[in-house]
Amino acid sequence: MLNFLIILFAISLIYLSVSERFRTYAKLIAAQGILLMGIALFELKEVNTASLIFILAETLIFKTIVVPYLLYSIINRTGVYKVHNKSLLGFYSLILALLALVLSIVMANALENPKIDTVYLTIALFTLFIGVLLVVNHKLIFSHMIGFLVIENAVFMFSMSVGSEMTMLINIGILLDIFVSVLIISILINRIGSKFNKLEADNLNSLKN
Amino acid sequence: MILYYFIIAAILSLVAVFVKFRRIAKAAIITFSLVQAAFASYAYLHLNQTELSYFTFDSLGVVFLLVLSVIFPAAVFHGFRYFKNRITRRFFYYHAALIGLITAITGAYLANEATVVWILVEATTLFASVLIYHEKTKYALEATWKYIFLCSVGIAFAYMGILFLGFTMNQGGFTDLSFLAITNAASLVDPLYLKIAFVFIFIGYSTKMEIFPMHTVGIDANSVAPSPVGALISTAMVNMGFIIIFRIYAALSATPIFSWMNHILLIAGVLSVLVAAGYMLKAKHNKRMFAYSSLENAGLVAIALGVGGYGYYAAVLLLIMHSFVKSSMFFQLGQLYRVLNTMKLDASGNYMRLYPAGALVLIIGMFCLLAVPPSGLFISEYMIFKALIFGNYWFVTVITMLLLCVVVYAMSVRIMHICFSEPREIIHNKYPEKIHPAETITQFVFLMLVIALCFYRPPFLDELIRQGISIIANH
Repeated sequence: MLNFLIILFAISLIYLSVSERFRTYAKLIAAQGILLMGIALFELKEVNTASLIFILAETLIFKTIVVPYLLYSIINRTGVYKVHNKSLLGFYSLILALLALVLSIVMANALENPKIDTVYLTIALFTLFIGVLLVVNHKLIFSHMIGFLVIENAVFMFSMSVGSEMTMLINIGILLDIFVSVLIISILINRIGSKFNKLEADNLNSLKN
Repeated sequence: MILYYFIIAAILSLVAVFVKFRRIAKAAIITFSLVQAAFASYAYLHLNQTELSYFTFDSLGVVFLLVLSVIFPAAVFHGFRYFKNRITRRFFYYHAALIGLITAITGAYLANEATVVWILVEATTLFASVLIYHEKTKYALEATWKYIFLCSVGIAFAYMGILFLGFTMNQGGFTDLSFLAITNAASLVDPLYLKIAFVFIFIGYSTKMEIFPMHTVGIDANSVAPSPVGALISTAMVNMGFIIIFRIYAALSATPIFSWMNHILLIAGVLSVLVAAGYMLKAKHNKRMFAYSSLENAGLVAIALGVGGYGYYAAVLLLIMHSFVKSSMFFQLGQLYRVLNTMKLDASGNYMRLYPAGALVLIIGMFCLLAVPPSGLFISEYMIFKALIFGNYWFVTVITMLLLCVVVYAMSVRIMHICFSEPREIIHNKYPEKIHPAETITQFVFLMLVIALCFYRPPFLDELIRQGISIIANH
């Protein structure tokens, strides 16, 4: 079951890298929230109940409901539904995503250790690469926001890869996740959308030498 | 004592934001600057004492805390001048966030645990973003967005580095992530994981030290934030980034990755100076030019760390003196804006005629920043090059020297233009504000301090620096 969830998570990342519609992004982020909840539920059996409840609540309430809801409200408010037409084509994004997957497998195997779960590490690295690709390849700030959320999911997967021995660190990471994500999305909704046309990253280019 | 410090800071911050009277907010920030100075003195008098388990008054933290406590009152004073003709509610948020920022930086200086440092660094991002967004302009919004976004990505990278460190600690049988525990456990674990952890942490905190590869965060923030805030971001915050990277570097210095870390630092340092030199040649915005100068100095500090030997001492000394010079330059830029009503280089000019005291600060500050004797920075840069030559780093030496020549040219041409030339672009500024020369005293005091440090370094300072760098195993 756990491997099934992890594979689904990897597929969601590939789908994310080739998608061009923002609503699909929001749905995939919500789907990843559910998948991460399932993974945490199966993986973190040894942590105490309070920590487990906290982690599950974070993935369910925050990653699956609150963040996608906020993303939808940004889409409705700005009326921008697709990625910028200058963004990399889906086909090339797919090639890059597959290369990232291969690189992640190679790196995770190079880091093989009895205490690190190689499958988690592979997916964590893959998630990180996809997040960075979303930030680098796309022109709209909304895509950058999605990239950041994906990087946060990579951090979560990294936490899983080193097991349940550091729950304090995982909880701190989760708190950071909640706080910063809400802060960034709020800025995106309340400020940038009203001051900059269509949330284009090119518009955020006035600070020059 | 640190608990009382945090409590008092929280109360004063809340007073500043909720009791909406200017005088009370002013009283709160002045009281806080006194508390800050008293706390720094207490920390100095109780060296190596640990409080609340997570904070240790070690020499490295204390020396930068003392520097911060000297710069901060000046930043408060210039903040008052900044708000002189502005009737705004933002006055209260500004001062509340300023107290929060200084408190978080102070905590990060003294924290002895990687996770506690990480939390405090995130807190500095939040408080700094309030201050950067202060003007609420389109530019401020852009800089704030970039600052939060990149710092958050950086902090996520640092978190992954700490996770790897945590994992290596578990392997060595250690359960906490204090720098002492990392030092003890690091030599027992696989160097590959330590390398990964160091790279992630270095990239993550490079946002704060304003060094390559995530240096752009600080450049935009400095160019938009009010000048007193820019002074703190480019000094106290840079010092904070340095302390964290230095502590991790020192903790891993007894491991086989030591020389590998040195190479990383040398590469990052040279690239920082390269980027700074390149962009300073293009700089058309006065604040951005000084922000790139911070990048250049942070690069020199990384080179100094990477080369070792005299370099360690030189790195700390350079940062101390850079803090005084750069803060005075930013304070001066705030006054320059009040006189010229612009930060654009092409629209700046005749500053010597309009405000001679301010122009003098710019010229003396320029010589200090460019490490021309009798600037104290000359001593630290001399030590860095001495260490480079003694270590046979000829390639780095030559490249850095050439790049510093570019920096000297770029900065001196621009400062001389601001002070003596006619503006190339006319901006309608009928009534330039008259500034009383007394307002410029803090800048002169700081610059004189840096010049004095060229000839004499008080024994207590020398001792603090030596003790601070003694945590490096191979020193």
